[in-house]
Amino acid sequence: MPNDTDITLTHVTKSYPLGKSRIPIFQDLTMTIPEGDFLAIMGPSGSGKSTILNLIGGIDTVDEGQVAVGHTVLTGMSDAALTQWRAAHIGFVFQFYNLMPMLSAAENVELPLLLTPLSARARQERVRTILDIVGLSERAGHLPSELSGGQQQRVGIARAVAADPKILLCDEPTGDLDRTSADEILDLLQLLNRKLGKTIVMVTHDDSSCRVAKRTLHLDKGKFIQREEELMVCR
Amino acid sequence: MPGFFKQCSALSMTNLRSLHRRKLISLSMVLSVTLVVVVLLGFLSMANGFRKTLAATGAADVVLVTSQGSFSETTSRLTTEQLHLLQEAPGIARDAKGRPMVSPELLVPVDARRQSDGQAAPLSLRGVGAEALELRPALAISEGRMFTPGTGEIIVGARLAARYQSMQIGDSITFGQSKWTVVGHFTAGGSVFDSEMLADIGQVRALFNRQGQVQSLRVRLGNPADFAAFQTYVEGLDMGLKAATEKDYYSAQSQDLSRIILFIGWPLAVVMAIGAAVGAMTTMYSSVSDRLVEIATQRSIGFSRSAAFVSTLIEALALTVMGCAIGVLIAWLGLDGWSASTRSGASTQLSFELALSVPIIVNAALLALCVGLIGGGLPAFRATRVPLRSAMTGRST
Repeated sequence: MPNDTDITLTHVTKSYPLGKSRIPIFQDLTMTIPEGDFLAIMGPSGSGKSTILNLIGGIDTVDEGQVAVGHTVLTGMSDAALTQWRAAHIGFVFQFYNLMPMLSAAENVELPLLLTPLSARARQERVRTILDIVGLSERAGHLPSELSGGQQQRVGIARAVAADPKILLCDEPTGDLDRTSADEILDLLQLLNRKLGKTIVMVTHDDSSCRVAKRTLHLDKGKFIQREEELMVCR
Repeated sequence: MPGFFKQCSALSMTNLRSLHRRKLISLSMVLSVTLVVVVLLGFLSMANGFRKTLAATGAADVVLVTSQGSFSETTSRLTTEQLHLLQEAPGIARDAKGRPMVSPELLVPVDARRQSDGQAAPLSLRGVGAEALELRPALAISEGRMFTPGTGEIIVGARLAARYQSMQIGDSITFGQSKWTVVGHFTAGGSVFDSEMLADIGQVRALFNRQGQVQSLRVRLGNPADFAAFQTYVEGLDMGLKAATEKDYYSAQSQDLSRIILFIGWPLAVVMAIGAAVGAMTTMYSSVSDRLVEIATQRSIGFSRSAAFVSTLIEALALTVMGCAIGVLIAWLGLDGWSASTRSGASTQLSFELALSVPIIVNAALLALCVGLIGGGLPAFRATRVPLRSAMTGRST
């Protein structure tokens, strides 16, 4: 029996159209990400890393095969059902933060809470707590344009965990940051995994990410390969 | 459902707060709606003002008798024999001396010079009988006095006096070969008589060489209910005459011109509205394109398609409402009460004021709303189809 947030991709085939033909991304990909895992997926551009996140997050669909999270099979769900499911179970962290530029840090963090039955007071309390956890309680009223890249990504992470999802999908979360900020973000993600039990799937080009991840998989041309040198580095 | 409203309100707020990024194109949408509203309000208030002016003219107990087949008073001719027989009609009110309250009248087009540019414009000089004021209860001398019958004195509508030369009390004014002295100004409750000049019919006939001519006979009835009997009598004479209460007569005239104004106004406004809707669509497509990553991010977070649709539509409607409000304000300040004039049935100037009213504003607002709905509908649908992968690949601006 799978746990509530075990992620399973079973015999997944995915391709994208290019003109009249289709570019294959995966052929018969099968993988499991157990609850509480912190998986880093690395690989060259176009290897299909982000596609895995999109499939797990229900923002893209498979050509064949099945994607399931716990007992919920995402394949075949309607858009409305997937949207509701995402709101309750998934937090996204984007490479370019994707904060709403006209909303303050606190308002950005509150955004997913508007999809919950929480009262305004409870939402504000939750926002305060989360901003405190990511170390930005002093910058709650600031607009994204008034924050550094690292701070914006912290707000992005705060927004991702605001509604308390079990799974965080991070797409190159350190890709737009300097080393110091990147390390801070990786530490924060590790904290969320270790202390709060979030299952994290992170797509990254950042070699040092395996420092915080429990597992690192290398994806190339739609297939996972285990590279010994990487494992050595991480060890 | 409360969640849905929360979603819509949150997304609408983010859309509206980002308007400054699209200020020029948003402004163009606001202005195009403003233009549509001002043009439509211009035509509707013109038709409304004209209708109100003519509706304010005439009483139910005053009857206008003209010759059958005439389109207006100026094309009507009544003979002396007809006038005698008409005075014997049933239902006519009588004054203290027992004389029938009737006024034979003759309308003569004359030219007067405008104060604004000195150009000549045609006005109506109405020759009336001694009972004329009794037949026009709304008419009141506002300045000076009534003309003395049998003299070359004239009284002038106050509205005309303000716009034309040589119409102040004591002024002499020449129409063709005739010379008149202005002895009074009058108001007539916003009716067509406000645009006329009144003088003794005998003098008018003499000075304009229209001896014996009468175009119409105004008759006061003792009771409006007597009209049927009066009409039966007039038709029974079989002398080619027709009778209509003043109210019906002017109402029929107002309908014709109002219809013409609306016939031009509405299609013009609708064509402009179509143009504005296309402009609005461009604006809103540009808005969706500008917010592509934001929309994809919001949808990835869990906001529904319908909330994305509604919030985009709300942005379009907010811009529309803004344009509409500015349009109404401009019309209110610039058009309402603005004096206009047109050719009346007598080919003379008829002054009236453009009049806004709540139903007219509602009409314009509904048209503007259509612009917003049509202009925002398709882009809003586009917002629901934004590929969510855009959230992964793009930067929000």
